[in-house]
Amino acid sequence: MKTRNYLILCGVISISLVLGLLFVPAFSDLVEQVILLFLSTNAR
Amino acid sequence: MRILLQIIGILLLIPAVTLATLRIAKMDGDGPSILFPGGRLVAGDLHSGPEPDWSFTDKVPVIELQLEDPMASRRIFIMESGGKVYVPSGYMRSFLGRLWKDWAFQADAGDGLAVARIEGVRYERQLIRVLDGPELQGIAAKLADKYSGGATPEAIAAGVESVQNGDTWIFELAPRG
Repeated sequence: MKTRNYLILCGVISISLVLGLLFVPAFSDLVEQVILLFLSTNAR
Repeated sequence: MRILLQIIGILLLIPAVTLATLRIAKMDGDGPSILFPGGRLVAGDLHSGPEPDWSFTDKVPVIELQLEDPMASRRIFIMESGGKVYVPSGYMRSFLGRLWKDWAFQADAGDGLAVARIEGVRYERQLIRVLDGPELQGIAAKLADKYSGGATPEAIAAGVESVQNGDTWIFELAPRG
């Protein structure tokens, strides 16, 4: 993939993630619960 | 090779953006999110007067706890035992735990002044670490019963050992002063 297109893709992914996390509470809650599960399993 | 590096870049970008967004979004809000610390606990009546009967916390799975210095809030478990309430912090001897449970190190090193919000009511408290003593049995029993599937003798013994070896820290939510 060309660098320009790659950077556009990274930008789109970033913006989509940020908007989803900020404005879709169910999505941010799900992500936090997954991270919490990871920490609970691996922080031993 | 180029496409591989691009894929790795995106795989690193996603968690970095996610963690940064979640961390920043909640840092100044009234209270924490599920995992990330939040700001000062503002909403809710401030309890005054005699100590309540803390047995109502048996039905409360998590509370919000805010340290005064440094000021940040997070969600944690709560246990009632012997008429007092306690909060735990696990994984204290692991690398991830030391990053994740920084509040416990801060509370232990500082003055322990805190505000707990339980079912919408705020309580000004002081965190006092429990290292040993007869109360540990009751605390471990409640912790096992409430959060680990049952207060079996083995679970209670494991809980006490976890506190004594420093893997789990227990703080009493004591009245201030």
